[in-house]
Amino acid sequence: MLKKSLFGMIISVSLIIILFTPAFAQDPYLIGVTMGVTGAGSEPLAPVKDALDIYFKEINAKGGINGHPVKILIEDNLNEPSRAATQAKQLVTQNQVVLLILASLSSCYAPVVQVVEQYNVPLLFLGVCPPEVYPPKADPNQYCSTAFGIKFDSRFAIPFIREEAKGPLKLALEAMNVPLSRNEIDWAEELAKGMGIEIVDKVVTPPPTVDYTPFATKIKGSGPNWVYTYGPWGMEVRTFEALRKLGWKGKYLAYGHIQAEDELRRLKDDDFYVFGTNAFFSDNTGTHKRIKEVSEKEKTIYPYTQLTDGWIGSTVIEDVLKRVSWPPTPEKVREAMNQTKVDTKGLKGGPITWTKDNHYRAVSYYRAYKWDSKKNRIVIAKDWTPVEVK
Amino acid sequence: MQLIVNTVVLASLYSLICCGFVLIYRASHVVNLAQGELMAIGGYFLFTVAMGLFKDPFPSFLVASIFSLTLGITVYFFLMRFMAGESVFAAILTTIALGILLRGLITLIWTSQLWHPLEKMGITNSSHGLIKDAVISTFGIVTVLSAFLLYLGLFCCLKFTRFGLRMRAVGENPLLASRRGIKLHTYYALSWGIASFTGGFAGMIQSCDAILEPGMVVIGLKAFPVVLVGGLDSLVGVIPGAFVVALAEILAINYISPQASEAAPFIVLLAMLLIRPWGLFGTKEELERV
Repeated sequence: MLKKSLFGMIISVSLIIILFTPAFAQDPYLIGVTMGVTGAGSEPLAPVKDALDIYFKEINAKGGINGHPVKILIEDNLNEPSRAATQAKQLVTQNQVVLLILASLSSCYAPVVQVVEQYNVPLLFLGVCPPEVYPPKADPNQYCSTAFGIKFDSRFAIPFIREEAKGPLKLALEAMNVPLSRNEIDWAEELAKGMGIEIVDKVVTPPPTVDYTPFATKIKGSGPNWVYTYGPWGMEVRTFEALRKLGWKGKYLAYGHIQAEDELRRLKDDDFYVFGTNAFFSDNTGTHKRIKEVSEKEKTIYPYTQLTDGWIGSTVIEDVLKRVSWPPTPEKVREAMNQTKVDTKGLKGGPITWTKDNHYRAVSYYRAYKWDSKKNRIVIAKDWTPVEVK
Repeated sequence: MQLIVNTVVLASLYSLICCGFVLIYRASHVVNLAQGELMAIGGYFLFTVAMGLFKDPFPSFLVASIFSLTLGITVYFFLMRFMAGESVFAAILTTIALGILLRGLITLIWTSQLWHPLEKMGITNSSHGLIKDAVISTFGIVTVLSAFLLYLGLFCCLKFTRFGLRMRAVGENPLLASRRGIKLHTYYALSWGIASFTGGFAGMIQSCDAILEPGMVVIGLKAFPVVLVGGLDSLVGVIPGAFVVALAEILAINYISPQASEAAPFIVLLAMLLIRPWGLFGTKEELERV
């Protein structure tokens, strides 16, 4: 009887070990994402989902990170603040994610940050970087790896225009009536005036604009030979096209969103410049080839040219998780994030470096591109230019 | 001069969009708050047709217009027909739900990317010089001409044809009209079809003149003050209403502040509600309903 019981117990324990040990080994790193896949203003954000999907599908196919798969739980918040807050809370409390990602319009930031502060979970921005990630005292829970950097972007843009203009410069500025765009253009105005540049007009357009021609008419009427615009891509490109329709012959600098590369090819205008911190696929580096290959293989919804920001974010997450011992906790993830130095392998001009006090990067590298009709391709108008982040 | 051209083009676009509001209101006393979505979907129809069926702009526009017309009729038969006899408020709420549904479908089918139907059709939107340095784009001309032809066509149709007479009868007194053997549902469906077609056509032009994106649905709501200024039940009122609102916007951009252009249509609307609440050409009896 005793023998039988002992045998039964051994069998039971063995079964438990056999059944449950692999399950423990395969427990995933849980990452929560609340993002604007659909809804107004989601066009620069939705491709992040594609990039996360294909990147971690490949990682998991190769055995995951430290022997564990990475599970990305993606929720569509339609860029609605209340929805974003509810999803963030659910991901943190119910799903117990160790890292939260937010890729939404800036209106969703405050409610999600509140959740993150309440539950002390690190938050990675894959939309626009908020100033809270900047040094000298970055918020302990907020990190950012994407291209935007308000208060830094114009530090490249205005000197670039000054340099390219080579003669008398009459600059017009354009923003959309949303906080990020307006603040950056106000900052650009300050910088330009400090450099002795004549600002002939500053136009702030309302968000739901039917026709940009009236705004372009006003800009053209002020007689600029350069226009600098900073806002959503739709506004930037539609104002440029309206200006050209009105017969304006000047030069135009716009922030290069994810659509910029394809749009330069469409417009084929030698005086339309875009700038940003991501390299274009026309560089054709090894990483670009890989993104293109994986995107085509997985048949992503968005074109591969729009996946760079999401790919860089995924690279950073992979690097961080590699340095997080099992079992992962938000504290361990935050600790690893504070010691990050990721080589973006040609996707940016330099590495993404995070320390305890700087959750943005130490140096932001900018590049300007334009179309060259003679060469019939996109060319670099100004190569990687460092802007120190301090 | 350029300001006048801009005003005419913008007013024409508003007239195209707002025609749908008035037609549906006149026929069924329902304010269609999904007009912006019907407009945007017209642009997406054009893009899809240009991408998959025809490269030539004329057949592309024609087929996309037929799709828009069919969509309006379908919406009536499968959704709005069931609201007949219900309160106007319930019907308006249904149009809001329809708008949400269409917005969702747009993102699901065409994603939130920016599209350029012109590129697919292989044509450019070039500029044409007018007097005193003023210019107008090809699709600016198309907008103005379309609005002119549409209103001329509708005026002739409603005034001089049997179809128009019946349509007006349905709008004026549906009970009496049905007693006289007029099939109410057919005429309601047609008004939805025409509204969807005119809105959709505005969307097609807008997507060629500017860009095609899900965000263009808000143009429908932005155009709404036009119909209230002109008179919700008056097709004739749409034209001066559109001109007043467009002029207010253009003047605000150039002489006050570009940001003021957002508020300008609503300031005009408020002024109109204070002076003449039923609109420039609206009927006083409709005021209570509005």
